[in-house]
Amino acid sequence: MATSTLDTDGPSYPGEVPESHGIIGARSDWLKPNLVWAVAGAVGGWFFGRYVGDLIAGNWTVSQDTTMNNVSVVFAMSFGVLGWIAGIGGLTYPFLKMLGREPAPVLPSRSWVRYFRMTEDHKVVGLQYLVGVLVFLFTGGLLAMAIRTELLSPTSHVFGPGTYIAIVSEHGTMMMMMASSAVVGPLGNWLVPLMIGSRRMAFPRIEAFSFWIFMAGYLVIMTALPLGGFPTGWTAYAPLQTQANPGMDAYLVGFAVIGIGMIAAGFNLAATIINYRAPRMTWSRVPIFVWSILATTALLVLATPTLVVAGYLGVLDRTVQTAFYVTEHGGSSFLWENLFWFFGHPEVYIMALPGFGIVMEMMPVFTRKPLFAYRVAAAGMIGVALLSFFVWQHHLFQSGINPDMRPLFMLTTELISIPTGFLFLVTLGTLWRAKIRFEVPMLFCLGMLFNFLIGGITGVFLSDVPVDVTVHGSFFVMAHFHYTIMGGLIFALFGGLYYWLPKMTGKVLNQRLAKIHFWTFFVFFNCTFFPLFLVGLLGMPRRVFEYAHNLQTLNDISSVSAFLLGASFLIFIFNFVWSVYIDPVKAPDNPWNSRGLEWQTASPVPWFNFERIPVVLTDPYRYSEPDAPPVADLGVASLVSVGAISYGEAVSPRDVESPLDQPGDLDPRPPIL
Amino acid sequence: MADKLVPAESFPTLRETPEEIAYELRSHEGALWSGSRMLMGIWAFAFAALGFAYFYLRSANNADLWRPAHITAPSGVGAAVFAFSLASAFLATYGLWRFRSGSGLDWEVAGWTGVLCSLTAVSLQIWQLTDLPFFPGSSGYASCFVGWAGMNIVLLLCGAYWLETLLARHLRLRRAVVEDGGLARSTLPAVRLFRVNLEGCTYFWVFIAFVALFFWMLFYVV
Repeated sequence: MATSTLDTDGPSYPGEVPESHGIIGARSDWLKPNLVWAVAGAVGGWFFGRYVGDLIAGNWTVSQDTTMNNVSVVFAMSFGVLGWIAGIGGLTYPFLKMLGREPAPVLPSRSWVRYFRMTEDHKVVGLQYLVGVLVFLFTGGLLAMAIRTELLSPTSHVFGPGTYIAIVSEHGTMMMMMASSAVVGPLGNWLVPLMIGSRRMAFPRIEAFSFWIFMAGYLVIMTALPLGGFPTGWTAYAPLQTQANPGMDAYLVGFAVIGIGMIAAGFNLAATIINYRAPRMTWSRVPIFVWSILATTALLVLATPTLVVAGYLGVLDRTVQTAFYVTEHGGSSFLWENLFWFFGHPEVYIMALPGFGIVMEMMPVFTRKPLFAYRVAAAGMIGVALLSFFVWQHHLFQSGINPDMRPLFMLTTELISIPTGFLFLVTLGTLWRAKIRFEVPMLFCLGMLFNFLIGGITGVFLSDVPVDVTVHGSFFVMAHFHYTIMGGLIFALFGGLYYWLPKMTGKVLNQRLAKIHFWTFFVFFNCTFFPLFLVGLLGMPRRVFEYAHNLQTLNDISSVSAFLLGASFLIFIFNFVWSVYIDPVKAPDNPWNSRGLEWQTASPVPWFNFERIPVVLTDPYRYSEPDAPPVADLGVASLVSVGAISYGEAVSPRDVESPLDQPGDLDPRPPIL
Repeated sequence: MADKLVPAESFPTLRETPEEIAYELRSHEGALWSGSRMLMGIWAFAFAALGFAYFYLRSANNADLWRPAHITAPSGVGAAVFAFSLASAFLATYGLWRFRSGSGLDWEVAGWTGVLCSLTAVSLQIWQLTDLPFFPGSSGYASCFVGWAGMNIVLLLCGAYWLETLLARHLRLRRAVVEDGGLARSTLPAVRLFRVNLEGCTYFWVFIAFVALFFWMLFYVV
């Protein structure tokens, strides 16, 4: 069949977008749903929710230090989130669906205003997520600075104990929320369609919704501070959870809101990867980063509902006075621990797997070797994802578990180190006898491997019941998970940013500044967190603002290093602003000489990603073969000739004419949810 | 307002081939299929968390307050909520069967009746919550019941919303595709997607029925 082309009806794509300015009746970008309206909606929703809450429970006991009771706090937050989503335009489509309409696709805009609106362009959403994640990261980072400032001295204090624990809790929660979307949000959304040869996401509106509700979660969790904070740390154990002041409501509602966003993001990415792969992109040709995102989406979609429900039950306890987590009334504080960690441990792999995916994706590029044991890597990720559902009780070794069950969960926890070890060995196998190009992304990969080795091995120690019981609740555990999450995920994230930002922005980041960023980040990260292993082994508990005098030297090393670590982030920001806005240098189309499909399309990437849907010819890691075919045919092969569709399936121009006369149905492409 | 830094050539016109449109259409059919099944997975884990809470508190029986004096939520209203939920699921399934047989009208009648049944179930569930014979925090059972009732309301509203959107879409589509063999047989992209969507929605209602059955037994029978 001839590959005749069919012009899209109407102004569906940017080149055809008429200038709307000056046209009578055309709405300005600022009058359409956008961030300003979202903020207005959130503020209005807050006050409306508070009014409704007071109406329902105005005579309830007012919580300590506030003028609000828990019901009005929860209503204010919930309506605030609803107002935010309405303001950004997130309710328009669901409402139109109720009327049986498929709304017109949002026209891609050249204006920078598109970054402040809901959009169907996955690349814009990816960049929105990047900014959002950095906002979370820097907020959490500032709180970390405050923690380390307090711990400079064992007995002289900057904060009171209540303020200190509120800061620790806010920091932990903020960082965990950030880390759950750190890679999946920016890089997952930006890259996955490009890597699988798709022009679009499966559910772009759900994708956009996931970002905007993620930011709503940020606002909710920030409201905890003016409401007095919460004293539980990021794990929010009951019964303290039930007794805490209204800042706790912000934690419960905020985490549930973020959870909804995580589910939405995972849902869309999974559907996209499963269904929108380019013709002939078999599962054995899927880029390993995409495998990591797919494994992560399974965890996002299945584990996160448990968190949302756990938060919902907590809110019920604090508002309608149920007793889920109140032991004296037939509930159990250990119920929270179980539900929370049933999500919480998969959450660890939600954070770790994409990091490994980035590293394994980049290593073949900088070693010019195929990815070692590709299938083992993919199997390892699936193995980790599956086993992560069966290990949660190791968080309860100290409390809340029948002691006879400990060996079982010790075994499952140790088992998960096997597929994790696969992933590590795949990276080492790729490095083996390679001529490594020590470019900045590769430096971050190597840094990640070093850090994760320490974090992983201490994790094996901690899976052992006697060790876990001994160091439970100490700085040793804290250092362990900072090595895995910050040392693993954040290093991989920065490596990925240095690697893909030239494609995302079209600009090259200054390499000298980038190397300074890496070395300061790497050195001060280790100087910050390694002493904390020792501090923990010497008996210093987490979340306590006074400690023994003999631990001051180690704590001071950690604190000073933490400040310098924080400063290293500023180098990245300066480099980004300098290289992208102040003194931009145009990036080559494929600066790393990568075979990845995302590098083969035009730069800057057009709105629809590929001029023709690519036909994949081989896997993307054949770096050692000079005569290897290109990874995909980007314009010649017909989808019929390669068997992607049959002759009869091709949709004729008559068919794509809409049977309806609504604007949205004029779009010849299938309607999208 | 336009960003002058972005070159116009980065936004060339997309010219899709018929094969590409067909390929994307098939992809989106697959996405709807996968999405509807994933939605069941999401809800299944959410309700599994609640089920875990139920059995955990029941087995712990802390302070001997799992279910003092074997209090039960009003079983008549509970049975009605259950019956209306089942009726919705049955009507959705029956409607799909009739739709496949080419009777769009039967599906429409069954669908609207199903929406009505589910909204009735929601109303009854809300009314039941306002008139419980126990305080929400009086026992583990009471807490679990209140938690389940809230989730059940949201689940039923989700199902009703999905079904309603399909019915509204059907109203707009049916006349337009009469010449193309009707909604059950038309090969137009919008109709193909509608059918996949409808099938997913019906499976979701069957899932709702199973959830309703499971928790009805937990709270009213066992």
